[in-house]
Amino acid sequence: MTPQDAHPISSRGSGAEQIPTRMPTANRPQNAGKTVNGDTSRLESVAKVTGAAKYGRDMQAPGMVWVRGIRCPWGNARLIGHDADAAKAVPGVVDVVVTGDTGEYNGDAVGYLLAENKLALSRGLRALRARWERLPCRTGIDAREAVLSVSDKAENALLFADHVLEAEYSTPVQTHSALETHGMMIDHQGDAAVVYASTQGTFAVADEIASFLSLPRNKFEVRCEHVGGGFGAKFQIGKEGAFAGNVASSLKRPVYSFCDRKEEHLDTGNRPSALVKVRVGFSKDGTVLGGQIGVWGGVGVATRGGDAAIPSGRYEFGVIERSMTNVSFNGGAPRAMRAPGHPQGAFAEELMLDEIATIAGVDPLELRIRLDKDETKARQAMYRLGAEMIGWKDRQPTGSQSGVVRRGFGVGSTSWRALRGPCDIEIAVHRDGSAELRTGTQDIGTGQRTACAVLAAERLSIPLELVSVAIGSSRLPNGPASGGSVTSPSSAPAVLAAAADAERQLMEIVAQQIGGAGTDYRLRNGKIVRGEEAVMGWNELCRRLPSESLVGRGTWDGRGSPYFQKGNSNGVQFVEVEVDSETGVVQVKRVIAFQACGRIICRKTAESQIIGGVIQGISYALFEDKLLDRQTGAMVNPNLEWYRILGANDMPTIEPVLWMDAEQTGVRGLGEPPVVPTAGAVAAAVFNAVGTPVRSLPIRPDRVLAAVEAAAVAGVAKGGAS
Amino acid sequence: MNPFALLQADSVAEASAAAKDVRLSVLKAGGMDLLDLMKEGIAEPTQLVNLRTVRDPALRTIEAGRIGALATLADIARSDAVRASAPVIAKCAASAATPQVRNVATAGGNLLQRPRCWYFRNEQFNCLKKGGSTCYAVDGENRYHAVFGPGPCHIVHPSNLAVALLACDGVVSLAGGERATLPIAKLFHMPDRGIRDESNLEPGEVITSIAYSPAPVSGFFVVKERQSFDWPLTMAAVALKLDGRRIASARVCAGAVAPVPWSLPLVEKALQGVALDDEAALRAACAKSIDGAEPMRDNAYKLKLLPVAIRRAIADAAGAKEGQ
Ligand SMILES: Cc1cc2nc3c(=O)[nH]c(=O)nc-3n(C[C@H](O)[C@H](O)[C@H](O)COP(=O)(O)OP(=O)(O)OC[C@H]3O[C@@H](n4cnc5c(N)ncnc54)[C@H](O)[C@@H]3O)c2cc1C
Ligand code: SF4
Repeated sequence: MTPQDAHPISSRGSGAEQIPTRMPTANRPQNAGKTVNGDTSRLESVAKVTGAAKYGRDMQAPGMVWVRGIRCPWGNARLIGHDADAAKAVPGVVDVVVTGDTGEYNGDAVGYLLAENKLALSRGLRALRARWERLPCRTGIDAREAVLSVSDKAENALLFADHVLEAEYSTPVQTHSALETHGMMIDHQGDAAVVYASTQGTFAVADEIASFLSLPRNKFEVRCEHVGGGFGAKFQIGKEGAFAGNVASSLKRPVYSFCDRKEEHLDTGNRPSALVKVRVGFSKDGTVLGGQIGVWGGVGVATRGGDAAIPSGRYEFGVIERSMTNVSFNGGAPRAMRAPGHPQGAFAEELMLDEIATIAGVDPLELRIRLDKDETKARQAMYRLGAEMIGWKDRQPTGSQSGVVRRGFGVGSTSWRALRGPCDIEIAVHRDGSAELRTGTQDIGTGQRTACAVLAAERLSIPLELVSVAIGSSRLPNGPASGGSVTSPSSAPAVLAAAADAERQLMEIVAQQIGGAGTDYRLRNGKIVRGEEAVMGWNELCRRLPSESLVGRGTWDGRGSPYFQKGNSNGVQFVEVEVDSETGVVQVKRVIAFQACGRIICRKTAESQIIGGVIQGISYALFEDKLLDRQTGAMVNPNLEWYRILGANDMPTIEPVLWMDAEQTGVRGLGEPPVVPTAGAVAAAVFNAVGTPVRSLPIRPDRVLAAVEAAAVAGVAKGGAS
Repeated sequence: MNPFALLQADSVAEASAAAKDVRLSVLKAGGMDLLDLMKEGIAEPTQLVNLRTVRDPALRTIEAGRIGALATLADIARSDAVRASAPVIAKCAASAATPQVRNVATAGGNLLQRPRCWYFRNEQFNCLKKGGSTCYAVDGENRYHAVFGPGPCHIVHPSNLAVALLACDGVVSLAGGERATLPIAKLFHMPDRGIRDESNLEPGEVITSIAYSPAPVSGFFVVKERQSFDWPLTMAAVALKLDGRRIASARVCAGAVAPVPWSLPLVEKALQGVALDDEAALRAACAKSIDGAEPMRDNAYKLKLLPVAIRRAIADAAGAKEGQ
């Protein structure tokens, strides 16, 4: 059964509605998307808030041994001594395994310690008395070493420019800071094991852990019922997984290996830092003619992965010469993080656009409308509607305000490729009328479980309550890893195909029982109909199943499909901020986030993705910063006290607007695009309020105060606005 | 964390005796700070003496002019008596930490919590305060450190409450030692007078309550980088005596700028006789707050914040007056 055979979902049945957002009717965009289901909460929401939902981190087994890495405390150091005997003498310590003697960054592991319980683990590590000799280290990108090269092509573009903007934008290392830290519990019993992993890729973990466990694939299962956040850092098993795998296979015992908060910050990946240097020329009206853009990506001990997506390709920038350099230093290596490379690029790009607009004396929104290449014209519509919604007309010219509290507006854009991959789904229909959807892919907190259930119920035309979902197991049908925003778009066609297959089989049974051909019948509103005539109820049909259950199978190869039209998923975000010019404190007041999304399966979970992206974007803009001590290379804030993440009092009003492009009818991923433009739009808004750009994230009070002061000096120099 | 004995004290006398006699014995109130220190391996007591099991109601009573040492920050923040007699204290308590922390953190523990310097709190840095030979903040990451004081340690005092109490001429009542009372102004010392600890209490001395002078015209302002769950970048507490619309006398104290809650006598003096609506004179007086400051490489911004925080605390106090 291919998805081509399954007719596209319609808006019939289970609470379908036309209005995708809670916006007042007057503001509702005409092409607001149709949703399959409006108000369903996550199926597991009660389990999550009551604690009944068990995460990998919650799993324990009798006789379990605990593992923790022996980690380098400094940016660069050599292990010159340790006392393994003393560590082993600590009651409960099982073993100490030291495999190396150099640490190239704070958190680098040189071995691990095993203990019967958590307390013995930390006592053992202390008794180990690892002695480290500190070596010189490098803690980040050195801006002085980043020299923008000069190319003829770019210089030619600058020749005809009325203005040239030279600027340097920088972003810090951001850690994923998932609430559930990385790790796994391997319940190793005899010649079999269950691996409870916190992962974005059930099957990827199965592939990777297999070599450690030396068990055949039919002897172990990777399970992942709930995940407390991944954001791109949980595809690989990491060191913590490798330790667990080694120990499980050698001791043949259950093993618990989860990072603590410190290890989570130090060694489970990050969004790399970036330095972007630009030298761009533009004409009097702000039209960008071209120039030079250099990106330096701070990749820790890695050698690649530091690119920042500037130019993003969304705006017309003329002739741009671009260079990219990965800068290694003594820090943890990056991993994919929610729209890898994009928020850092968009920060530089959006702020640069506002700077260009300000110099040229044009409205930055008008400039974007002019420069935006927007192939679908969706963003053009979003710009106009968003301007109305946020009250762009109240925006004061940049640098014109002199009050204590200054208001600023900013805007930024996003686009995302609609990616998808292969997926298999089974739907079992039971004699009692219930249905179980089975997919091995994982729900990383996005609502994947819920989306599958909603689609299956919709397609089978039965109440949602009848559908349960078995998810997150390598024993279940194959599904995608959750990266690149592919999970929903990959599974949706397979769910529809599986449901259609189940329907086909069911209708055959109806035909056998009451005559005619299977194709004469259809499922509708919990009944079996022939034309308009109901011939049997769903429950009655199920009771007549020849065996306990019937399984519909849907397979999708991830390629072309009637559900997908080409084009990116576009978006625009508008931001309003208030800046206290005496304290430098920035409060984001309001964010309007337009996001083209194709067909919405479940409004709540879709909006939640956008809201979450915006929150993470603001947090990146204002607070987050993995700070390495410049002398020792140790992270000084490996906790959630000084590694600040936006909290309740910092939360603006966020208004997501789900946007259906007429052409884009399929299900599209929403995980990544909403996080792209936020920080850039916040930075643009702060610039608008203050008059001098803050070109480094996070936009801390000290930086804002410096900008306020610079603006005042510039104002005096101009003899202007005092 | 090492094994330790837990003594559930029945009386202050018992707690005091235990804390005095047993080596490495430590009093525990809410435990918010102590447990953090133990988990990080910075405090390694062999005995915890639980004060919270002492049932004496006086330890928890709050009345105008006196706060029991075991009263929580949440109790203080919502106490009508405190809000009327010294709004600055209630506001300070309310601004500290998070609702969850405030429900557990006690007044006594808040005063005596250890500093938050990230080198101090990370076990691996054996800095001066922990008996090592260097202050890592001097050439390291010092954006949240002190702008006053000659060192050699550059912590900022962490207690919000202490700043407000200092502005209200607070005096702690003690049990178990030789002294019956100690002014807040004398409760803490600068690092050059002892770097390993911050308070002047002797082992076994227990704070039972804190008295303060009524300050109905008092106010507070704090600047935080993040508005949820964050420490002050700079804060100011003021207590005013007014003569009509003029400041007859003022107590002005600052937090997060020095190793101890910081008195600003120059500002107090300059404020004398200034009219509440004389913007220029207020500004000039508040500008004196940074006299003698010696910022480190990354914390000079605090010198911009401090006068602003004081000015706004004065406005807050004037507002409290208006509200009466
Ligand atoms: C996330 C977070 C944010 C925070 N933010 C702030 C903030 O913004 N401002 C702020 O001021 N604080 C803040 N705090 C600190 C918090 O307020 C303190 O940890 C708390 O007040 C300590 O009180 P406690 O009763 O738990 O003390 P404990 O941890 O029990 O004790 C602390 C110390 O005081 C001693 N002690 C306690 N009571 C007495 C007594 N009666 N007599 C003698 N010695 C005593 C103990 O021996 C111990 O040394 C924050 C804490 C956290 C976790
Ligand atoms: S400021 Fe004090 S506590 Fe911090 S590193 Fe220096 S000596 Fe240690």
